[in-house]
Amino acid sequence: MKSFLNLTFFVKSPFEKLALGIVFFIILISIFGDFIVPYDPTQIDFRGKLQPPSLEHPLGQDGAGRDVLSRVLSGARLTVLSTFTVIFVVLVIGCTIGIFSAFAGGWIDNILMRIADIWLGFPPLILALGFAAALGASLEAAIWALIFSWWPNYARLSRMITLDILSKPFIAGAEVLGVPLWRKVTFYVLPNAFDVLIIQVALDVSAVMLSISGLSFIGVGAQIPAPEWGSMIADGRAHMSTAWWVVVFPGLAIFFSALSFNVVGDALRRELDPLIRRV
Amino acid sequence: MHYFFQRFVFSLLSLFILTLITFLLSQVVPGDPAIVAAGPNAGAEKIELLRSEMGLDKPLTQQFLIYVGKLAQGDLGKSWFTHQPILEDLIRELPPSLELVIIAMVINLVISLPLGLCSARYNDTRFDSLVRLFAMIGAGLPIFWTALILQNVIGGELQLLPIAGRLSFEYRAFEGYTGFFLLDGLILGRLDVFFDALKHLILPAFSLSLLFTAVGLRITRTAMISEFQKDYVLLARTKAASEPRIMFKHVFPNGAPPSLTVFGMQFGWMLGATVLVEEIYGRPGIGRYAVKAVTQSDIHAVVAVVLVVGIVFLLANLVVDLLLYILNPRGRMDK
Repeated sequence: MKSFLNLTFFVKSPFEKLALGIVFFIILISIFGDFIVPYDPTQIDFRGKLQPPSLEHPLGQDGAGRDVLSRVLSGARLTVLSTFTVIFVVLVIGCTIGIFSAFAGGWIDNILMRIADIWLGFPPLILALGFAAALGASLEAAIWALIFSWWPNYARLSRMITLDILSKPFIAGAEVLGVPLWRKVTFYVLPNAFDVLIIQVALDVSAVMLSISGLSFIGVGAQIPAPEWGSMIADGRAHMSTAWWVVVFPGLAIFFSALSFNVVGDALRRELDPLIRRV
Repeated sequence: MHYFFQRFVFSLLSLFILTLITFLLSQVVPGDPAIVAAGPNAGAEKIELLRSEMGLDKPLTQQFLIYVGKLAQGDLGKSWFTHQPILEDLIRELPPSLELVIIAMVINLVISLPLGLCSARYNDTRFDSLVRLFAMIGAGLPIFWTALILQNVIGGELQLLPIAGRLSFEYRAFEGYTGFFLLDGLILGRLDVFFDALKHLILPAFSLSLLFTAVGLRITRTAMISEFQKDYVLLARTKAASEPRIMFKHVFPNGAPPSLTVFGMQFGWMLGATVLVEEIYGRPGIGRYAVKAVTQSDIHAVVAVVLVVGIVFLLANLVVDLLLYILNPRGRMDK
């Protein structure tokens, strides 16, 4: 925990510093993007249909004349915030189940982890597809679908950490002193689990982001005209041979975000990871 | 034998949970299925009649038993958009997808295993950094975007490979026995068909495999690095065993099993990811079928695809685990 006072301690190479910079930039854009967009991202302009990049429209215009730069910037909010929503909810649900399972032990623990094991295996994309189909296509459905298929990762991880912490002597001490359960969880388990969980979060961001944009691409996530990166690519597909910019720029946005989060997650793991030495 | 038994029980349990999930998925459809099935002009009696016919008035547990019973007979229901039994649809759509996934898996293995081994051997050299950079980039590329770019650049602009379909136009009348065109081409001795089908597979299979290759490469590298640090490698070196011998004879067979488990899981994930690729390349297959079903809100067809992909996933894992067990009798069941 202490190491987080210096927020950038873990980036070593220039490459990693650049990645961290991009991550901060993307987070800023996803918060303030709507204030700095040059045009309304959903404003249709048929005279500007499929215009190539120019001074007025640096990234060109899409099939309905919407400004691609504005859409990519404002799409950061949809894509990145829905990614963070998924991860946050999954973190809370998964950790609750995992920590509960570790404290409960015995057959409850056994059954919960068996279910998580089995669940973990199923292809998340196809499970999400089934879920989205049941709920009807929308960005919310895609978010729910991913939450539904992602929780076992965190349940297993937090259970593993909790078991590790529970085997430490200070827990035995706390036991003797009669520390209540909620104090054990909030003051003993959670602070110690923080490092490992933050690594997992950083590494999961790109996977969740790729899944959300993938779901939007095949039409079960965000719907046009919402400027989600995946649905922008789906929208620009038909014109790709004449207007590459409509497809290329949102794709680059996904790629650079996913890549940067991966690099940062990797650096975090290298520097912080005491428990899982997976490289 | 004990291990085999345990492994089968685990698979059966997984299958049970899978059917439970698909059952629940088909339950959460908005609206009353009896009202939908009866049509807009049906009276209350007709709806009630249908409700009991469809078993909707029974408790949920009993409905689940009926559902499982139907599954056991291969009855997956009827598709709303093809107007055919879903089972027939899937039998038709599965071979092209499996063919695609198998080729993608071959690409994955051919890249991941040797590169992972070599970058572990030359850990922290420039070569290793390059491999890791490749893995990083691969893990960040959206499959559908790569597929579109490759299709337009290599297929469209450069015209090196076909952009869509499974076979060229002149082979449109070709029919095989198995639905796997590569296999059919070989069986019937039609090498022209074989190579034509292969050409059509390269771009989609490569786009599909890239993300998985990146992950497979990382996992292989990690496993091999920890293997290279073991004492027996040191012993082999002191006995002046040649470096290729150490790499291929000692380290590789010992370090491969954990990554093989991951490749087994990837098989099912790839089959799921065909939803992103098949539509782009205009290939028939369960991925495209699932996307179509979703856009037509044909929930039963989607759920059936979830079920089939899940079953393929379970089978692939079972096969890999049993294979590892047979290859390595010491058993690695206490992972």
